[in-house]
Amino acid sequence: MSGTSAALTTAREADAVAARTVKTFQANGQHAEARERFAELVARHQRRANRIAYHYLREAADADEAVQDAFVKAFSHLSTFREELPFDVWFTRILINGCLDRIKARTRRERWLVPMGRITAPRTENAPAERDLADRTPSAAASPEDALLSRERRQQIALALARLPERQRAVFVLSHVEGCTSREVSALTGLNESTVRVHLFRAIRKLRSLLSTDAPLEQPAQLKGKRRVTS
Amino acid sequence: MSLLERLFGGHFGDREFARLWTTGGGHPHLDACATCRARFESFDQWVLGIGDVLRADADAALPTERVASQQAQIARRLETLEHPARVIAFPKAARAVINGHSHVRRWVTVAAAAGLIAGVGLGQVLDIHRTVERTSRVSAPVTHISAATAARATTVKPVALAADDDFLSDAGAFSRPRVSSALLPLEDMTPHAGDPVEGRR
Repeated sequence: MSGTSAALTTAREADAVAARTVKTFQANGQHAEARERFAELVARHQRRANRIAYHYLREAADADEAVQDAFVKAFSHLSTFREELPFDVWFTRILINGCLDRIKARTRRERWLVPMGRITAPRTENAPAERDLADRTPSAAASPEDALLSRERRQQIALALARLPERQRAVFVLSHVEGCTSREVSALTGLNESTVRVHLFRAIRKLRSLLSTDAPLEQPAQLKGKRRVTS
Repeated sequence: MSLLERLFGGHFGDREFARLWTTGGGHPHLDACATCRARFESFDQWVLGIGDVLRADADAALPTERVASQQAQIARRLETLEHPARVIAFPKAARAVINGHSHVRRWVTVAAAAGLIAGVGLGQVLDIHRTVERTSRVSAPVTHISAATAARATTVKPVALAADDDFLSDAGAFSRPRVSSALLPLEDMTPHAGDPVEGRR
């Protein structure tokens, strides 16, 4: 068993224990204790949840709200949580469903609203993401030239990711950005495991073709020797 | 170029790299071909680089301070779950409109409208009746007085003056207060009772 897998197993065991304790507290009416214990789960999964929600929704405010809703929903429905399933898988499923609902609501809303940007310039699919990326400051201690290049690279990748079909994007983000295995992605999305692999394959190919015309990505030194977590 | 051709002669392309990367397995060609092995390494780093950029992107969008405030917000929301918001009841009038008894209200409205119409109609009829009655009461003394003056005119006065006297006596009769027929016997018994009033005029 590799170090990553061992760490994952330990984290999941800790999650299971915490979830069981929260359930017991809730059943006994000890709500303050339940909340306190649940805060541990929140702290452990919050960052990951924010990343997933952000890649689904492409807006920080929306992602923030979606994550809050998912945690509140998980707390109030913890009695339905089956302990044989990892907590993170169960919780991520709640989060993804919430994000999909938000996307649907947003699509319905946008059908009736003409954004201001459309009047002046043609609107791309990820216009808010582009704006967000452009406004964001790159890592500290980078020269202005490096910062500009880094920002451009982020823009290119965000654009390319936004051009992927929804399922391919979801599978790519979950399996690659969050390091989920194909089995976990299958459990999270409800797709067949082989379908997950096909979507991942297509996503990588499409990203490659979309980014092939651009300058090759600079490889950060810390990535050397880093491998994807596979099943 | 097919996969078999690449296996035996050419090199792997992005398609094969993507497939190998997705399945996570190795390939004999990669062991044999140093060029393809190096290119696959580069491909691998490229894909990992994308993941890293996307992670950094999300972390920059939701920085640490925002995550902390989010955590506090979640704690607040969990706390409010125990104390659900108090629902303020609608006023009684609003409830009566929406509580499903509208047919009763409709009947009450119709009855009130019918009562109003009936009342107005009855009022009109009674008013007409009273007017008719009053008219009949007024016309009776006039005929009586005109008969008396006619008798007087035929006895003494010459023809030219008779018309004037009739006119004046008729005018006097009309200017006198109207007396109900029921009071006429009493009037006859006290013929001078109205004189002070007449004198004052």
